[in-house]
Amino acid sequence: MFGYIRPLQGELKVRELEQFKACYCGLCHALGKNYGFVSRFILNYELVFLTMLLWSEDTPITIGRSRCIASPCRKKRYCQKNESFDMCAGFSVILTWWKLRDSINDESFIKSLPYRAFSLILSRAYKKAKSDFQKFDRCVQDELLSLSSYESSALVSLDGAADKFANILKAAVPEKLPEPSRRSMSEMLYHLGRWVYIIDACDDYSGDVKFGRYNPIAVIYPSERGVLPSDVLNRLETTLIHSNNLVTSAFELLPENPWSQILQNMIYLGMPDACSRVLTHRWPPGRKNNKKWMKLDE
Amino acid sequence: MNNPYKILGVNANASDDEVKKAYRELVRKYHPDNYHDNPLSDLAQEKMKEVNEAYNNIQKMREGGAGAGSYRPGSGSSGSSGGTAEGQKVRVAINSGDLQYAEQLLKNFPTRNAEWNFLMGSLCYRKGWLDDAFTHFQSAVNMEPGNSEYRQALSFMSQGGHAYRSYGQGQRPMAEQGCDACDCCAAMLCMNMCCRCS
Repeated sequence: MFGYIRPLQGELKVRELEQFKACYCGLCHALGKNYGFVSRFILNYELVFLTMLLWSEDTPITIGRSRCIASPCRKKRYCQKNESFDMCAGFSVILTWWKLRDSINDESFIKSLPYRAFSLILSRAYKKAKSDFQKFDRCVQDELLSLSSYESSALVSLDGAADKFANILKAAVPEKLPEPSRRSMSEMLYHLGRWVYIIDACDDYSGDVKFGRYNPIAVIYPSERGVLPSDVLNRLETTLIHSNNLVTSAFELLPENPWSQILQNMIYLGMPDACSRVLTHRWPPGRKNNKKWMKLDE
Repeated sequence: MNNPYKILGVNANASDDEVKKAYRELVRKYHPDNYHDNPLSDLAQEKMKEVNEAYNNIQKMREGGAGAGSYRPGSGSSGSSGGTAEGQKVRVAINSGDLQYAEQLLKNFPTRNAEWNFLMGSLCYRKGWLDDAFTHFQSAVNMEPGNSEYRQALSFMSQGGHAYRSYGQGQRPMAEQGCDACDCCAAMLCMNMCCRCS
C-alpha cells in the first residue's frame, strides 16, 4: 500500500537479503494461489513485514524454486506457503479493496473510473478474503468509515486521525497468540500504523497542497506553497521517532522467530532511514535521490 | 525452571565475561528508562526479573555462592507527588490502565489548569497519541513553568522518548556514504594506473 517499511539493504547479510526476497516472492505466490492471478499485483512491503512478524517461532523457513510471470525464464527462490502467508495475503486483498472503495467515494465519477475498474476485477478475490477473515474485514470497514467521517469534520488532532488507521493494523494480531506477546504485538502494530499514517501524510504533503486534496497535516499546518516550516518538520520528526522507539521497545518483548534479524534491520535502520528521507524529500531511495542529497551536503 | 543460559542467550560453556556482557546488554534493553510510562512496562519488568534471576543462578552455579551485583530496577515512573484529590484519582486510573474512566474524570474536571493539561497529556501518552500529549504537556509547562514534573514530561517528549539501540549502532548506512558503482569504478581505474607505473 505504501512501501515505507523496508530493510536497509546495504546493512543486511547476503543470506538475509536472499531470504527477504524469497519472503517477498512467497507472499506473491500465496496471493496468486489463494486469490487468483490479479491479486498478485497488490503485493507491498508493509505486508511482507507483517508476514515476517506474524511468523510463529517454531516454523522454519522452507525455500522452493519456481518460475513466475516476473521471471519467466529463470527459476526464483520463494518461501513456501504457511499460515502467516495465508493471513497476510487475505489482509492485503481486504486492505486494497477498502482503499479502492475509499478512493471511489473521494473522487469524481470520471476520475474514479480506473479505481472502479480495478475493484471490479478484484471483487471475486475480495469476496473470498472476506469470508476467510470476517473480523478483520469488518474492522477495516469500520475504522476507514470513522476515519473518513473524522477527516470531513473539523479536524483538530493528527493523533485522532492516525488512531483510526493504527487500529486497523492492530486488528491484524492473530487471535491464537498467547497473552503477554499479544499485548506487545498490539502495541507494536498500533505505533507502526500511526507511523505509517503520519509519514504518508508528510510524503504527500506538497502534492496534496498543490492539487487541493485532503491531507491531515495540511489541515493543521496550512501553507500556501506546500513547504513546511522547519519547526513543524522538527515536531513531526520527533513524534515519528517517538513512535519508532515505541515500536522498538514493544518488539523487544516479543519472542524471537526466524526473521528476527531482518525485522530488527527494518525497525532499527529501515524506518529511521525512511523517516529522514521523506522529511528531506529524498524518498523513494534510489540513485537519483542519493545524488540529490549528496549535492546538498557539499 | 527455564535454562538460565538460554534466557541470557549464551552457551553453557561461555566465559564469565561473556555471561556478564550478555547480561548487561539485556539489562540495557529492558531498562525501565526504555519503558517509561509505557503500557508494556510491566512486561519489561518481568523480563528484567527473569534476566536477573538467570544471571544470579548462573553465578550461584559457577561460584557456589550468592550472586551479587545484579541490577535492581527502581520504581519505573516518578512518584505522583502533589496535585489535587481529583488529580490523584485520575493518576490512579491512568496507572491502572483504566483509560476510559480517566477520560471521564478529566471531562468533569473543575478547571482546565496546568494539572488538567498535564494529566490529559499523560492520558494521551498512554493511548499512544504522542503529538497531542506533547501539546498538552507544553500548555501545562506554559501555565506553570515552575513545576519540575511537568517540565520533565515535556523534555521527555521533545527527545522523542527512549529506546534501546544496538543493531547497526554507530554505522552510517551504505547508501549515505556515497558508495555507488561510479565511485568503485573510478577507484579501480586509479588503482590500476598506479600498478602499471611501477
